[in-house]
This record gives sequence, structure tokens and C-alpha cells, in this order.
Amino acid sequence: MSDKKNNPSILDRPTARPLRARDAIVVIFVTVILLAILKGNSVTRVGDTLKPGVQRDVVLAVGHPAGWIADLFGVDDDVGKLTASLSPDQSLSGGGGFDDPATAGADSSAVAPLTPDAFDPSMLGEKTTPIPKLSTVLVTGDSLSQPLDVELAQRLASKGVKTIRDPHLGTGISNTDLLDWGQLSQQQVKKDKPDAIVFFLGANEGFPLPKGKGKSAACCGPLWASLYATRVRKMMATYRQGRNNRVYWLTLPMPRDAERQKIARAVNATIIAAAQPYRAQVRVVDMGFFTPGGKYRASMPVNGKDTLVRKPDGIHLNEDGAAVAADVVMDRLKTDYTSVR
Amino acid sequence: MVFPTMQFAIFFPIVLALSWALMSRQWAWKPFILAASYVFYSAANPMFCVLLGAMTLGNQGAAKLIHRTEDEKVRRRLVAAAVALDLGTLGVFKYYGFFATDINSLLDSAGLGMPIPLAAIALPVGISFIVFQAISYTVDVHRRIIEPAKVVDFGLYLSFFPHLVAGPIVRAREFIPQLSKPRNPRMVAVGPAVFLIVMGLVKKVAVADYLAREIVDPVFGVPQQFSAPDVILAAYAYAVQIFCDFSGYTDIAIGLALLMGFEFPQNFDRPYRARSFQEFWRRWHMTLSRYLRDFVYIPLGGSRGGKFKTARNLMITMLLGGLWHGAAWGFVLWGFIHGAVQVIENQFRERTKLSPPEWLKWFLVFNIVVLAWIPFRAPELSQAWDFLSRLGDWGPATMWSTPVVVVIVLAIGLQLLPLRPMDALRVRFESINPVALATALTVSIIVVTATISSQGVAPFIYFAF
Repeated sequence: MSDKKNNPSILDRPTARPLRARDAIVVIFVTVILLAILKGNSVTRVGDTLKPGVQRDVVLAVGHPAGWIADLFGVDDDVGKLTASLSPDQSLSGGGGFDDPATAGADSSAVAPLTPDAFDPSMLGEKTTPIPKLSTVLVTGDSLSQPLDVELAQRLASKGVKTIRDPHLGTGISNTDLLDWGQLSQQQVKKDKPDAIVFFLGANEGFPLPKGKGKSAACCGPLWASLYATRVRKMMATYRQGRNNRVYWLTLPMPRDAERQKIARAVNATIIAAAQPYRAQVRVVDMGFFTPGGKYRASMPVNGKDTLVRKPDGIHLNEDGAAVAADVVMDRLKTDYTSVR
Repeated sequence: MVFPTMQFAIFFPIVLALSWALMSRQWAWKPFILAASYVFYSAANPMFCVLLGAMTLGNQGAAKLIHRTEDEKVRRRLVAAAVALDLGTLGVFKYYGFFATDINSLLDSAGLGMPIPLAAIALPVGISFIVFQAISYTVDVHRRIIEPAKVVDFGLYLSFFPHLVAGPIVRAREFIPQLSKPRNPRMVAVGPAVFLIVMGLVKKVAVADYLAREIVDPVFGVPQQFSAPDVILAAYAYAVQIFCDFSGYTDIAIGLALLMGFEFPQNFDRPYRARSFQEFWRRWHMTLSRYLRDFVYIPLGGSRGGKFKTARNLMITMLLGGLWHGAAWGFVLWGFIHGAVQVIENQFRERTKLSPPEWLKWFLVFNIVVLAWIPFRAPELSQAWDFLSRLGDWGPATMWSTPVVVVIVLAIGLQLLPLRPMDALRVRFESINPVALATALTVSIIVVTATISSQGVAPFIYFAF
């Protein structure tokens, strides 16, 4: 390299003697083989979490032989057990997942009874009884819940409310490979004991859902919507914890991409349908004002000024957009809880 | 494509093997590596490749024209046009939203009401690094330091995947000569490369992401929920996080390049042991420091022209350095603080004969550097202020845990140790045989990946710059 004084290199320090290019390839390929033996099955697991496309196809194509090598040696599970304690993820054992037969959806041929929980008193012109104290709010979901969680936490901090932020990026209700929201929601209410839950998710939806007998329903027809709504309803039932909690489930602001719009419309329809039996506790917070008439827009008037509210990806809300959404959620919280007024 | 991902773990062994297989046939090697680099970049967004290709052709055309022209005035105009085009590209993608919002607010408050159209423009990954490298090429051709390269060589220089998205900022004069002949297959720094890759993985995944998750993100997100002890710990944790995140990335980048036979300049040299701010900038993001020195500070006049002009040049350089990181007032304030303390430091050195003890100099420099990271990390200046205002609230420490404190102390403490014994240990590791190196790499990958959450590796901080 030229001009060594001005541009020091790592190799200017004492280093080991150089080897051959062949040794570089040996190092990398021995590493690849060892990883295939010790962790080969994880390649397919990672591939399953990727969005459909070339990258997913390539990872899954490599995953099959890597998994075969790992199965041949049979040490993959042992390595997993050895390193499990290092994982920062919460262990989601104990059932309650979407595929758990004990908590699966009800028999579809039975007529579901309507209970008073299906009615928000305000819908009937009745006076609502506000809850005096809000102590803990859980803000959760996928990447959509950021930076909404920060905006809400800042607003609630001054009211003495503890905000637990628990975003799970890249996850979706229709994809349990990465995370089973059925299990996670149970663990969240058990661990954090929130009074209110703000839920905003839907950037990674549209995965096929199992419909039994090893078959699956593709997004986004009525069958897929019904299967998705069943999962959403199960989560709403978990979050409302009997009748104690209030749940604020945000609908999706329409994304820019036409394919994603189709998914978002289906998700929004399922949220409304799923919440039906629990309207007394579950508030569907409509984010449709971001995209009036279902038409995407990157900016909107905020306090009289045209303001960018979406991120360049055309999916997420930016800081200003999240601030608008947080104001809407705060208004709903104020209706239900006197301590945050 | 991010380095510590499954996609890259599949991509790199194939590219490395084919690269060495084709090395002696340069006519095949160059297009192959160029294509591989574009595949790497397209993983983020294929449209970004169009921009990269356009920047390559535009700057190459300008360099050829500059080289062919004898008239110095015309040459100057040509280089100015090329640099303006590069900076214009950067301006549109990186700063448009920032300035449009602020100019709109200004016009609005002045009652002029001529709003600039707002647009949510996607920031191409690594655009700042690409632009800086493109400028270094055309300027060096103008200064007659280098001659224009072949288009494929210049294309490779801009797109070479190990340094494409977050540096180090390699100069054209450092990289392009390495393309003039095949890399020597008998002189590959395999040991140092593996050491750097292992260290980079540990720094990024096991330290930076851990601290971000455990303390930095929660506290910087809502400082109002925390009291002084937590806020102080979060500030030190961020100083460690950003060092480990960025230097971890460049360690991996330099290591990968070494395996392919290429040498990149060093980017970090234990910056938190600096005893002056000038020294800090000789140790922190070294390739940016020398770039700003050579392309901003010295052309402005450097230290020639008296105290006032030196101070002015220093302030302009550091403010631009801050703004280079992104379109936010927090970065500008960070640059201002670093500029101001260097001006004060120069004045102090010239005006007094006092020589404070070394430990005091280190203590002051380190803590002011940590303090300056606060506006750099906070998304808004108001939040930086919220963060600082918590220092007056001595409530309970809720975020202090032994592992967090140990990681912070180790990451800072290791930088303060003498270099020689550390080097001796490193050379011993680098000297083990290739199969043992592979085993060490495997073990570190397994251990490090076990600490990754189900959401994957957090993006490198400098990807956003």
C-alpha cells in the first residue's frame, strides 16, 4: 500500500506469517463443514423465517443437504442444548400456541353464544364506567410497534404509568416459525401483568395458514381470513384476561405496495371480526385516517402543516406518524382510564 | 446482505473459492467479483444497483475527461461538476427530507408559505461511503496523484463488497493499484483475517447488540422512566456499543478482504485510550478522519493563516463530519462539540505551560467523548435534553446488572492495556494451523449466534450513514 504513514494497515503491526490462498479456502470450508455437522438444521429454520424470494429459496436449498449432514451425525440437538442458556429469547414452553389442540378454535358447526362482552356500552348509548388507575401498559407487536412504543412511553411517563415495550421484529401471526404469538401473548400477560395492551402488528403477514390434514390456505381469501381471525381472537382473549384488561388493537395503515395492500385489507377485516365478542374490553383503533379511502399517502396535514408520516419503505410510520398514532391511542386510553386524563 | 447472516454465510465461501480459482485469469476474475459485489448490494434493494452503476459511469467519465484536459481552469470546472453531482446525489437521498422539513418550517414561520414538496425517499445503503470514495477518485485524478483506471477497476473499487456498505473508506490510490496484478496466492494473511472476523463477530453480536438490548435502547428510548444511575450507565454503554458495532463491522470487512488477498487501511486503534481530542480522532474512524483532513480541512487552509482561521477550519470540518453521519441536529451538535473541544485544546496548549497528569487528560477526554455521544444517539435534540435532565434525579438504579457492568468495564479496560502483551497473544492465535483456525472460527460462530435473538442480528449502526 502506498503512503503507509498516513494509512496504517492491520498488517503493519506484528502478525503471524502469511499462508497460502489454499489455506484460506481450507479454513472457510472446514468451518462450513463443522457448522453443517454441529448446526446444520438451523439453515432450514432460518430459511423458513425469510420472506418468499430468491434469498429464501437459496437458503432452503442449502438447508436440505446441511440438515442431512447434521442428522447423519446427530449432535445438532446437543449443541442447541449446550448453548440454549446464551439465548436472549424468552422460552415459550407450556403450550397455548396457535397449534395447541387444547386451545384451538371452537367447533365451527356450533352457534357461538353472544354475551354482554360483545358490546361496548358506548355503542349502546350507555354510560361507560371509567377505570380509576392505569399502572402498566404493554406496547407490543412487530416493527410497526416502533417507534409508537417510545411515543406512548414518553406520553405516559408523565402520568406515572409504567410502559413495557416488547417489539418482536420480523414476526407475524400467520408465521409461527419465528415466533408463536399465541404462546408469547400468554407469557406476556403472565410476566408483565399489564392493565392495558397496545398491539400493532402486520408488516410480515400473508403466510399460508394450516387448515388441517397437512394442507394450508393461501392468503387472502375468506378461508385464510377465518383462520387468521381465529388466531387474533385467541390473542385478544388472552390479552383481555377475563374482563380485567383493556386491549387497543391498531388496524394497519394501507401500505404503498399493491400486493401488501391486499394483505393489509384482509388483516384489517379479520381484526374487526375477531374483536366482535370482546368489544367491551377490546378497542379496535382505526388507523385508516393515514390512508383515507384506502389510498396510500406518505404525508398528511398535522397541526395544519403537511408532514411526512411514513417511512420510505411505504409500510411503517416514521416518528411523526407514530406521534399521531400515539395521540389517537392516548385519547382512547383517556376514555377508559381516569388517571391518564 | 449483512455479514453475520445465513445468506452471507452461503455467499462468501462460494465467492472466496471462485475468487482464488479465477485469480490468475484477471479477465474473468474482475467481472466475477464485480458481479458478486452487485449481487451482495442487490440483496438490500436491486434498484440501488442502478444508482451504483450510474455513479460508477458518471465518475469514470468525469475522471477520463479531467485526465484528457490540459487547461487547468477546465479541469477545475470538471472536477467541481463531478463532486457537485456526487454531493447532489447524497443530498437528494440523505438530506432532502431534513432540509425540506426545516425550510418549510422557516418559510411558514416567516409567513411566506411556499412549501417544498415532501417525499419519503429510501436511503440507499452505504451511500455516504460510496460518494466519498467516488469523490476521492476524481479528486485524486485531478490532483494527478493517480491516472484514471479502467472502468471495470473503478467499478470494482466502488462496489467491492467487503467495504461497500459501511467502509472503511478506502482511497482509490490504495485499492486500484492492488488490482493491477493478481493477488499473490502465497502471501495471504489468513491468521490475522480469522482473528479479525472472530473479534468482529464477538464485538458486534455479543457486545454491541447485547448492550443495545439490555440498557441502551430502553433508556435512550424513554429516559423519563429512569433516574441518574441508569442514565449514566446507558451513556457509557452506548459509548461501548457504538465502538463495538462499528469497529466490529470494519474488523469483519478487513478480515474478509484479507482472505481475498486485499489490504484495507485500519479504521480504529483503541480510541478510548486517547489523552487528547486530536489523538481521539487519530484513533476513531481513522479513514473518515484522514478523508476530512485531506478533502475538507486542508483545502480550507488547514492550520495555515493564523489561530482564527485554524479554529474556523476545524469547526467547519467537524460540523461537516457530524452532518455526514445523517440528517439530524443531534449529529450537527456532536460535530460542534468535537470541533469546539479541539479548538479549546489547541488554545490551552498554546497559551499555558501547564501539563496535567496523563490520567486526568484521559479522564477528561473520555468523559467528554461519552457526553458527546448523547446527542448523537438521541433521535431528537429534545430527547437528548430529556436524557441529560435525568442526571438531576438520583433515584434507584434499576438497569444495573453484573453482566452489563462487566461488559462495559472490559470493553473500555482492554483498550487501556499496553499493546505489546496483547499483540503477543494475538500473534499466538493467528499462528495456529488452518484446521485449528477453522475450529476456533466455528466455535466462535456457534457461541456468538447463540446470543442472537429470534429477530436476528440488529443492523449495523453505520449502515444508516
